[in-house]
Amino acid sequence: MVQILVYGAVISAIYAMLAVGFTLIFGVARILNLAHGSFYALGAYLVYTFTANANLPLWAACLIAVPLVGAFGVAVERILVRPLRRSMLAVLLITLAVALMVEQVLLLIFGSEARNVPSLVDATYHFAGVDISAQRLLALGGGVTILAGLWLFMQHTRLGSAILAVAQDAEAAQYMGIPSDRIYSLVMGLSAAIAAAAGILVAPFQTVIPSMGLLPLVKAFAIVVVGGLGSIPGSIVGALLLGYSETIVAFEVSIEWSQIVSVAAVFATLVIRPSGFFGKRASF
Amino acid sequence: MRMFVLSPSKMSMFSVDWLAGLLALLVLAVAPWLFASGYVIGVMTVALCFGIWAASWDFMSGLTGRENFGHSLFIGAGAYTAGFLNVNFAVNPWWSLLAAPVVAAVFSLAVGFPTLRLRGPYFALAMLSGAAVMQNLTIIFSRYTGGQDGLNGLDPIVDSTLGYYYLTLVLLAAITLVLKLIAASPWGIILRAIRGDEASCQAAGINVTFYKIASLTISAACAGLGGALYAHYQLQVGPDLFAVVLSINIIIMVYVGGIGTIYGPVGGAILLNVLTESLRVFSEYRLWMYTLLLVFILFFMPQGLIAPLWWRLRRRLSP
Amino acid sequence: MRRFLFPSLMAAVLAFAAGSADRALAQTKPIRIGVNTAIQAQVGRDAIDSVRMAIDEINAQGGVLGRKFEMIVADEGEAASEGPKLGIAAVNKLTSEDHVDVLIGGYDSGVTLGELPHIARAKTIFLGIGSASPAITQKVKDDYQRYKYIFRVNPINSAKQSQALLGFITGKLKGDLGYNKISIIGENAKWVQDMVPDIKKGAEAAGLEVPVAEFFDVQTADFSPLFAKVKDSGSQYLIVIISHGASDVFVKQWYDAKVPVPIGGIDVKGMDANFFDRVGGKSIAEVSANFVLRAPLTPMTVAWWDKFVSLNKRPPVYTAAGAYAAAYIYAEAVKRAGGTDTDAVVGELEKTDFVGPAGRVQFDATHDVKDGPGFVNELFVQWQANGERVVVWPKELATGKMINPPWLAQN
Repeated sequence: MVQILVYGAVISAIYAMLAVGFTLIFGVARILNLAHGSFYALGAYLVYTFTANANLPLWAACLIAVPLVGAFGVAVERILVRPLRRSMLAVLLITLAVALMVEQVLLLIFGSEARNVPSLVDATYHFAGVDISAQRLLALGGGVTILAGLWLFMQHTRLGSAILAVAQDAEAAQYMGIPSDRIYSLVMGLSAAIAAAAGILVAPFQTVIPSMGLLPLVKAFAIVVVGGLGSIPGSIVGALLLGYSETIVAFEVSIEWSQIVSVAAVFATLVIRPSGFFGKRASF
Repeated sequence: MRMFVLSPSKMSMFSVDWLAGLLALLVLAVAPWLFASGYVIGVMTVALCFGIWAASWDFMSGLTGRENFGHSLFIGAGAYTAGFLNVNFAVNPWWSLLAAPVVAAVFSLAVGFPTLRLRGPYFALAMLSGAAVMQNLTIIFSRYTGGQDGLNGLDPIVDSTLGYYYLTLVLLAAITLVLKLIAASPWGIILRAIRGDEASCQAAGINVTFYKIASLTISAACAGLGGALYAHYQLQVGPDLFAVVLSINIIIMVYVGGIGTIYGPVGGAILLNVLTESLRVFSEYRLWMYTLLLVFILFFMPQGLIAPLWWRLRRRLSP
Repeated sequence: MRRFLFPSLMAAVLAFAAGSADRALAQTKPIRIGVNTAIQAQVGRDAIDSVRMAIDEINAQGGVLGRKFEMIVADEGEAASEGPKLGIAAVNKLTSEDHVDVLIGGYDSGVTLGELPHIARAKTIFLGIGSASPAITQKVKDDYQRYKYIFRVNPINSAKQSQALLGFITGKLKGDLGYNKISIIGENAKWVQDMVPDIKKGAEAAGLEVPVAEFFDVQTADFSPLFAKVKDSGSQYLIVIISHGASDVFVKQWYDAKVPVPIGGIDVKGMDANFFDRVGGKSIAEVSANFVLRAPLTPMTVAWWDKFVSLNKRPPVYTAAGAYAAAYIYAEAVKRAGGTDTDAVVGELEKTDFVGPAGRVQFDATHDVKDGPGFVNELFVQWQANGERVVVWPKELATGKMINPPWLAQN
């Protein structure tokens, strides 16, 4: 029981970090960013390169990697997405193409074999039947901290209010003097940075291969839709739902069925409540 | 996106359309004689199957605006039907062409009704999860489905490579023609109207549910037929036919071809399939070049490549 | 920009189609080896480099019957995302366009099985060096006339592998170490799904209890629930069968959680010589089945290993051993047959008796490589301190004692 609680929490935290960034960019800019998984992968690979090839200490690598990926996100938004923003499908496909390109570049540079990113902390904890590494607990803690930080930022800063304003009504925000275009770029950068942070926190205990961003992207997509597109609390609830249902099924039934359960849960949620938990009904 | 309304003044433009379509068909029919390699014919046959899938996707999603991210569900359903019948029950492969569309249509009803009120990303995700569930089930129940390795040793419908190519070409032409005719008929207008404003259609007394389900079912049946054709050509079916990647590749082909035109996606499918193979010269850089080209096309041609090209050509040709 | 794109695309497409006609016309004297493999993966790269190494050696000695060898490579793509589509196209290209005399390659069993009917239709010899599914050579048995061109040089098929694994379980785990409770987990690839029930039955027949026998998805990223289950069951050893799945993550998570159950079994990625370093040393005490090491498995193994490393600056994986042997085996069969006539060469291939880096290669009645003492063997190799690899089973070939992970008491 404790095992399910703890492991489920770790998985949910990671999913939440991914989902929140994804829903943020959708809620604000109405962009389904299929390159989101690439930001996740780039975070992990940049830390790998800095520690393995440039021999930087781990903390420095993390501190440099996150803003770098954020900048990359801003670049993608400004150069490739902005001109195409009229058509949602066009944006979707071009972000997909970016994702494919990033994967290929990583494959060509680093090869298809998994890379090793060292843990930030090396201890192991045993309690109440649970064996868990400190790195996982760090991922949990880090995730919660980042989400809390994001929440505070959105609620208690001027920039955060500007972002919320643009999310509600971009045109009205523009009239109020808020530069929507720049907000879009900023939000993309923020979303990319959070995804990169997630990638860095989990890289020590997950596979670091060029295609590592695909499955998390699909999961993030599923969580965000279930939680309600554009709703941050919805994403968190969705992440908890998915994370725990996977963990419970893995423990009680078989790990093989845990994947299918989460996918079936997504389908079921959409059929029962199409706009997700917290989404506005038919809002596009 | 253009709306083609039937009116006498536009009839002349139409005849140019059909003439061009006939010409394209002729070119495709003659192509194998120009490039007499079994390998090229094989690549083209696969490309034509993708053409069927792209056209069928465009018919539903291009017209009604409900982007279906789980088209592979119908492809896999059709392909595995062919596989089961042929490998497990030694049924003559020609029957697959009949059974596969039916099974795919049943699947479409199973996912179509629950997802009726969904649009946009919600619909996309629901269909995607439907296909993903099937993919997972296929792997878990490996005893019956062959698991990851799939079913092998299907019989080809027609033994010769050339013969198979023509079979596929004929079916593709027929499907494209039928779908295009439906799209140009009042049916097609209603489908596009649903995309524009569903509530008004409902208010005007149109049975929106019927049209939504019908378009999905027709799309599914065609995709299933394509799946059976593909299976009997590759002589193998596997869970990769249910994969998200396949659905997305088809959407890219439709987009490159020109969404909503039915014939554009066929061109897009052929182009991208041939491109994937012809980029072999770049060995490990093949996929990177492919995605680079994709980014170019998607960025500089938001209306697609094939259809806009044809429109520009036609403007020069017609009086 | 726009104006150039379409014409240049058309040009590329036309060149591709036209070029094929040219290639079909040119008749060639060299003997062509077609290599169909996943070129972006380590197994693919090593196969290619190994065939090249063999060809260079053979050509340096004047080739075979006065003809030199040349190699053409075709990418099978990544099976996980592209399925067998690219592999089938690759095989078709090599046979109907490049007119190769023999195919050496294969890695993913699903792709290989998909390619077989096309290879058979082209009546081209295929020497498999990576796929383990028994279904491949079963076809030779079921329809000899059609599929007689198919051979497997490497690895021993998965049914024989599971026999070897069972030997390890009953001989080493029960026999030497006295364990009586083990768990088995495997990825849900077909060959594993076939293996696991047989191994469970065999273990139980030998008196072992198997409380957990489960499958996990190839894409599983988090094994904590599995480890917890296995630990709670009181198992003394965890047999794991993993090939395409993320074994790096598996061992890292096992080490980080200090799971009190030692692990071992078939771990394809764990065969890599640099696996230990890749996981930061966390695969210590893991036992993984292997086919080739830098050890005197045969008189030529160590020299071959060293030459490969010096040429390619990296240690070889198992497909390299098979590819090298396959090239030589084909060359010798051609020499004996007096030419490249397919039926004659098939006849000579069946009489193969070649000592390669992994062992002595002979084929059984279904064209499958023979296993057992004196032939190609599955070794059970354990990672020990400093990345040293010690053969712990079979007894005749063992080079050291089996250890426990550092957080458990030693045996």
